[in-house]
Amino acid sequence: MQHQSTFERVLRGVLIALVLVFFMFPIVWILLMSFQTNEQILRIPPSLLFEPTLENYRALITGRLETHAGTLDIRFMQNLWNSLILSVFSVALALVLGVPAAYAFARFRFRLGEDIAFTLLSFRFAPPLLVLLPLTLYFQDLGLSDTYVGLVWVYQLICLPLILWIVRGYFEDMSPDIEHAYRTAGHGWLTTFRRISIPLTAPGIAAAGLLAFIFAWNNFIFALVLASADKQPVTVGALAFVTASGIQYGQIAAAIVLSITPTLALALYAQRYLVEGLSLGAVKG
Amino acid sequence: MHEREKNRVQAYLDGKLSRRELLRDMSALGASAALTSTLIGLGSTRAFAAGFDAMQHKGTALKLLLNKHPYTDALLANLEAFKAMSGMEVTYDIFPEDVYFDKVTAALSSRSSEYDVFMTGAYMTWTYGPAGWITDLNEWIQDPDKTHPDYNWEDMLPGLRASTAWNGIPGGALGSADAKQWCIPWGYELNNVSYNGPMFEKAGVSPPGNMEELLETCAKLATDLEGVYPIGVRGSRSWATIHPGFLSGYSNFGERDLQVNEDGTLSAAMNTDGSKAFHRDWVKMIQDYGPKNWSTYTWYQVGTDLGAGASAMIFDADILGYFMNGGGNKEAGKISFAPFAANPAAEAPTPNVWVWSLSMSSFSQHQDAAWHFLQWATGVEHGLFGAQTMDFVNPVRQAVWDDDTFRARIDESYPGYLHQHDVSAPGAQIYFTAQPLFFDLTTEWAATLQKMVANEVPVDEGLDMLAESVNSQLADAGLR
Amino acid sequence: MRDAFRRKALPYLLSLPALLVCVGILIPFGTAVYYSLQRYRLNLPHLRKMNWGENYLKFLTDSEFWNTLQVSLAYTGLTVGLELLLGLGIALLLQRSTRFNNFVSILLLLPLMTAPALAALMWKLMTNPNFGILSYGAALIGFENMKWASDPSTALLTVLLVDIWVYTPFMMILLLAGLRSLPRQPFEAAALDGVPRTFVFFRITLPMLSPYIITASLFRLLDSIQQFDIIYAMTQGGPGDTLMVFQVEAYLQFFQATNIGKSAALLMVLWVITFILSNLFVKQWLRLREQAQGAG
Repeated sequence: MQHQSTFERVLRGVLIALVLVFFMFPIVWILLMSFQTNEQILRIPPSLLFEPTLENYRALITGRLETHAGTLDIRFMQNLWNSLILSVFSVALALVLGVPAAYAFARFRFRLGEDIAFTLLSFRFAPPLLVLLPLTLYFQDLGLSDTYVGLVWVYQLICLPLILWIVRGYFEDMSPDIEHAYRTAGHGWLTTFRRISIPLTAPGIAAAGLLAFIFAWNNFIFALVLASADKQPVTVGALAFVTASGIQYGQIAAAIVLSITPTLALALYAQRYLVEGLSLGAVKG
Repeated sequence: MHEREKNRVQAYLDGKLSRRELLRDMSALGASAALTSTLIGLGSTRAFAAGFDAMQHKGTALKLLLNKHPYTDALLANLEAFKAMSGMEVTYDIFPEDVYFDKVTAALSSRSSEYDVFMTGAYMTWTYGPAGWITDLNEWIQDPDKTHPDYNWEDMLPGLRASTAWNGIPGGALGSADAKQWCIPWGYELNNVSYNGPMFEKAGVSPPGNMEELLETCAKLATDLEGVYPIGVRGSRSWATIHPGFLSGYSNFGERDLQVNEDGTLSAAMNTDGSKAFHRDWVKMIQDYGPKNWSTYTWYQVGTDLGAGASAMIFDADILGYFMNGGGNKEAGKISFAPFAANPAAEAPTPNVWVWSLSMSSFSQHQDAAWHFLQWATGVEHGLFGAQTMDFVNPVRQAVWDDDTFRARIDESYPGYLHQHDVSAPGAQIYFTAQPLFFDLTTEWAATLQKMVANEVPVDEGLDMLAESVNSQLADAGLR
Repeated sequence: MRDAFRRKALPYLLSLPALLVCVGILIPFGTAVYYSLQRYRLNLPHLRKMNWGENYLKFLTDSEFWNTLQVSLAYTGLTVGLELLLGLGIALLLQRSTRFNNFVSILLLLPLMTAPALAALMWKLMTNPNFGILSYGAALIGFENMKWASDPSTALLTVLLVDIWVYTPFMMILLLAGLRSLPRQPFEAAALDGVPRTFVFFRITLPMLSPYIITASLFRLLDSIQQFDIIYAMTQGGPGDTLMVFQVEAYLQFFQATNIGKSAALLMVLWVITFILSNLFVKQWLRLREQAQGAG
């Protein structure tokens, strides 16, 4: 690797610091807000000095919000759970469907292959609004409205194209020679795919899966239109703190923090794959 | 169980005990606030049940679609009482206000029979009614077999009854003889001035009575108060910017959105000289004395600023000021209320109203049972329960407004509230023309206001352009 | 013989399940196309009829439509362009795989994990003239009258800022993955020969990275041209018509005006634009792949 001069190292450090300030400042501010009451947040001018309170988190987690008007029930934990179910199953299904397809597009040249690949990508073009209203009608007939199954299916609009196209890139980057060698040793196609192709592209698959997870997690229009209140994700749930008697910024901030946590945990867990392993240099030699 | 508590509650319901005394006695008896609410609910619901087969829909299950709102909170606090009285099962879905109407449109346009009853505003029924999604409730109100003799429909404030009834003909007068009752008023808000008492005192001003005084008061507030802007109004690119203070003031000068012609066609009426003059004042008011970020201001920001002491007054819903006078707001307890008639020549304010109402879905499988529920939810007893013990304000029934317990509670903590309401109530109604392009028209109106405030287009020119655009859209929809 | 058949059928067998699952979605899409050819307003049911291309024809003379088109394209071009530059820059900064760099790259994903609709709410608060920390900061450095999203001259800038904050991490992580997967030999050879670094960057790094750049930009493009959450939450398309993009307009037509015909037609136009742009990207992507494989 090239040697860096001191000036370069300092410059690099300064730039990284600037980047961190820009991207982290709002996150830190949201974190701080989550420990404040609304009255503390709405001060003129805004101030960093405050006595931290855990009230926002307590209200979200216990589902009971004490206000001057009485106790309100909130179902934030249920929302969080729904988000988890929807995102996990959507990504899992997208992986099961998308990885073999991605492999097919990367490894084989077949009639209509590129057309099918492009069609699958094009599902990402369809503005959700366009398909949602007709979809409500069909879902009623199919008995899919207000079911997790129906939602997971619709979530494929977000997850599948992403996984397909990213994973395809990794399969293409992987040299076919290793597979050939393994197959020549007398192993069938399926075994080769399972034992060689998937493990070698696992980092890419993990990265694509994580991104798909994030996009699924952040969606809210699908569940809003297609499901009843008990199946709504956190994105809809957090809006419940925008109330007629005021926006509960502290609780929204706490809700954001809580809703980021599972994804962050996943990202940290997958870090090894995500950043380290994403370099397929080892595979390519 | 709870016999002593029940007796105290009965005494309260009979008017022998004030709400304060009741709460004091109850806490002495060790009863929680929640139990007190439930008992009041049970007691008042007993009254509803007398002389009417309350159990006629026993076992029927209803599902409600509700917006997250204090009215909903009051309903839920009392719902057990209804279930006990009727033997019915009631479940509900609550959605945040931000997305509530999208959910309603999605559910109804798919002709889903999931929800029997849902919350709505009168403007929305101008879409739902013609689309065939909701039923004309006159059918039930007029049917003595289905409606409790004490339901007392006439007790509903007449302006609200009219505002929620429309014959479905574009431009048809609200509350006309042939009108269909698309929804039942539930709780409502009218638009007047809510102001910060101590700030007004400091600047040595009193609440303005008309537009001219308003601008003068603002000028004084702007110079005398540091770090506070004089007046908050909404400004986002939405119908919600037009309907509160703006339309209330506008209507006070006798100006209209649309003109209904002899032959029943409609044409734009917002480019008259009177309208232009009002717009000029309004735009100046925002530019000189309004919030800096005005064009992103919705209900929430207008309220938040008043509650946090960033603004000295708002010309918006009275209950917005009411909410900001309580809760965890910095300025809680300092907000006062005053009636506002923009036109110095007008005899009284003419506030445009927002009426949270309940509608019955056309796709409901249990319409009779749904009506049973609607009667209870919009009845005097539940109204009293909500107004006395929770934030079910403003009540839509005269009987509740006449209730001493309620009046005493409001008068004690909300100075001027009863006065502004009593003065304005006779003129409180919807001042828009009922027609299917309501949302197109008002959204474009708001966008035009934004352009005027940003000095992108002069007021007169902007209004002429708006009128032209509205006329062509009306023609397009076969209404002109 | 059977083997040959299996070899031929295999790619179809692998890709068809994915296709089938998505084709179900095609049926409502077809219905939407049908709606777009109708005069169809939910609250004027008696006027509903087929009017064929009339909804589309009207766009030609509708200045609001052209404004929407212009704003959407400008927004897409600016966000994708800026996020690409910024994302590439950050990826280059973090290129070396150290513990610190890896940790930073995960931290930088946090904005992406914040749901845009909620992020926009928070940005709205941060840019509030009274309580907003950013307004306060802007005043400190002399911008006392900064009106952020509520002034036509700064609205686009403000929304761009939020979009860049949310989505640059997406670009960054994909490009970082690409950078780290580049083979080492060309760089080592260039270093031995003393080739200037700018030359290496433009002649070796960028060309080799371009498939990744195209994939990342393509997905950003697809999302950006359909932007809704951020703009709707911040300004609802205003002030005036400053930020009126396709999805916001279609949403208002759909949910508020219940003008299904016009809304569907707007979305169809959006779909066609997206289709054409993606086609260009994918063609380019395939060409680059071919080249890379030919060279390798």
